[in-house]
Amino acid sequence: MADQPQAAAGRPPRSIDPVRRSIALTFGAALLLFLIGGVIQPGFLRPTNVFSVLVVASFIGFVAAGQSLVILTGGIDLSVAWVINAGGVMLTSLAAGSDLSAAWVVPATLCMGLGVGLANSLGIVFLEVPPVVMTLGMNGIMQGLVLGLTNGFTSSSAKAYAPRVVSQAVNGVLPGGVPVDLLLWTAVAAALWVVLSRLTFGRWIYALGNNPVAAYLAGGHTRRITVLVYMLAGGFSAFTGIILAGYAGQATLGAGDPYLFASIAAVVIGGTSILGGRGHYFGTIAGAMILTVLTDVLTLMSIPEAGRSILYGLAILAALLIYGRQPEDV
Amino acid sequence: MSAPAARPSAGDRFRRYALRNASLLLSYLVLTVMGLYYVGYAAGHGQLSVFSVTSVFNNTMPLLVAAIGQTMVVLTGGIDLSVGSIISLSNSLAAVHMQDSAGSVLAWSGLILLIGAATGAANGALVAVGRIQPILVTLASLSVWAGVALFVLPQPGGAIPPGFTALLAGNAWQIVPASAVVLGALIVFWIVFRRTGLAVALYAVGNDERSARANGVPVAAAKIAAYTLSGLFAALAGLYLSAVTTSGDATTGAVYTLTSIAAVVLGGVSLFGGRGSATGSMAGAFVLTLIVNILFFANINPLLQEFFQGLVLILAMAASVLVNVVLGRTG
Repeated sequence: MADQPQAAAGRPPRSIDPVRRSIALTFGAALLLFLIGGVIQPGFLRPTNVFSVLVVASFIGFVAAGQSLVILTGGIDLSVAWVINAGGVMLTSLAAGSDLSAAWVVPATLCMGLGVGLANSLGIVFLEVPPVVMTLGMNGIMQGLVLGLTNGFTSSSAKAYAPRVVSQAVNGVLPGGVPVDLLLWTAVAAALWVVLSRLTFGRWIYALGNNPVAAYLAGGHTRRITVLVYMLAGGFSAFTGIILAGYAGQATLGAGDPYLFASIAAVVIGGTSILGGRGHYFGTIAGAMILTVLTDVLTLMSIPEAGRSILYGLAILAALLIYGRQPEDV
Repeated sequence: MSAPAARPSAGDRFRRYALRNASLLLSYLVLTVMGLYYVGYAAGHGQLSVFSVTSVFNNTMPLLVAAIGQTMVVLTGGIDLSVGSIISLSNSLAAVHMQDSAGSVLAWSGLILLIGAATGAANGALVAVGRIQPILVTLASLSVWAGVALFVLPQPGGAIPPGFTALLAGNAWQIVPASAVVLGALIVFWIVFRRTGLAVALYAVGNDERSARANGVPVAAAKIAAYTLSGLFAALAGLYLSAVTTSGDATTGAVYTLTSIAAVVLGGVSLFGGRGSATGSMAGAFVLTLIVNILFFANINPLLQEFFQGLVLILAMAASVLVNVVLGRTG
């Protein structure tokens, strides 16, 4: 939008881009929720607490980075939950707590994620399996593999803790009190901004989401783009698994389960169209914050899990009713 | 296509039918092969009994019923992710409130079905009138009803009246699984339903919403009806699950959200809407359940269950694409 010429003088100003409006709205809502938290509990807005809330939000942010890219192309990735679990289990059981092993286990785990994403995309591109089915099946495949190979235990040895380097990377604190993890999230956000707003690859992602046929006819390598996007999604899921294992100190089977729906919710609350082609990762960041702060505020109000779940759903619905509606004739 | 004067030969008609229903026929084929394998193996190892067959039927029914509801929504081109929560909710309600008397069982079954239909109607209204994407509406209501289920039954527990279990999961005349009778009734229901105006409207909306509207199909009403039916069948699935498991757990239904979609897809129903049959989804539900039994027979680690279910799902989908390509070329 910024590149376009200013409206000629005398004309009414152009209305704000709906995507920007929804991103601004989501950040506003996140801020409001933080303030409500501050009113309920005075310590809530202390930097240490805000940072710890943001660290938890970053986990959704990492998975949703890949999910954003996939949804922007008009697809969806339902395999995130068990790729996350696989990532955590692979990290802890292969590295067995050793920093030295982490040097090869972390890249290997990321490659596992990229590989799963590659398999997803090949099914979608060459076997013409719809993304919902392909990634749903892949989720089952990963679940079976992880459970089968581990026999349902995260590890046979008691040494299966996350390597200290990884824990440090998540829980460590920089001089200013900023967690290292938030630095990672900032880096991811910057990378996504470059991809979506500065690279032709990003333009093609939007083009593919808006109209795959038009994107193909315009000379886009639609298959290659699809493959890359799903690989990135798989990579981000595995990365989230590593981070979660580092955060908790060990891997838990099922740690990734809440992140399937949370990642989709964050993307959508952030104003990205589930049909693809419209939206930005910045909205997703705000969406991840909202989901996390909302949970924390409801916990502060000592609302039990049942109530939190209900309000969580209603909040998503409210966001959708505000800016997620389809135009009249579709 | 063909000349109107001459009636197409039986072979021609069959080929055209096969062409149109390739994925459906494929799902029947897979089910037949797996069913024969199951029966053959069980018989060969002396494990074929009324009990074992009844348990296969009973383990399939909750998924099968939920898949019928999911089919209604998928036929319109939508998707219902709230199925799992509605199953949990109806399981929780049944475990908490149902007493061991005919009156209580009847009253609560009716009420639970009504609640299920109402939750579905809310989904449908948000999709059709609220104009929000189905996957998002039902993602939100998945969370809402999961919360309500937890509210009804915070800790796993409660009890299901034995009479209710005997009614849905027992045996008629000592030998026929009650589930098989219900299955028969559901198939008859589908055959009748398939010929109603509502069913035609569902297919029309799924095929091309604009043309449907232009031809006077009440699109919004059809969509609301589809989601209402999905909620109703999810509640019925929850009741069935209660009868089979004989206990309550507010999270027990969660798996059915994704497995009901898998069953529908395995049954050859197109996720783009407008194509497929609930009988295919029923076959899909049996395939997913039989995989578990066959793994058990084959002495394969049961923890690999999801691996094989996922693999079968992807292979079936790829195969139906392939079959369509081949039939399309020769036909």
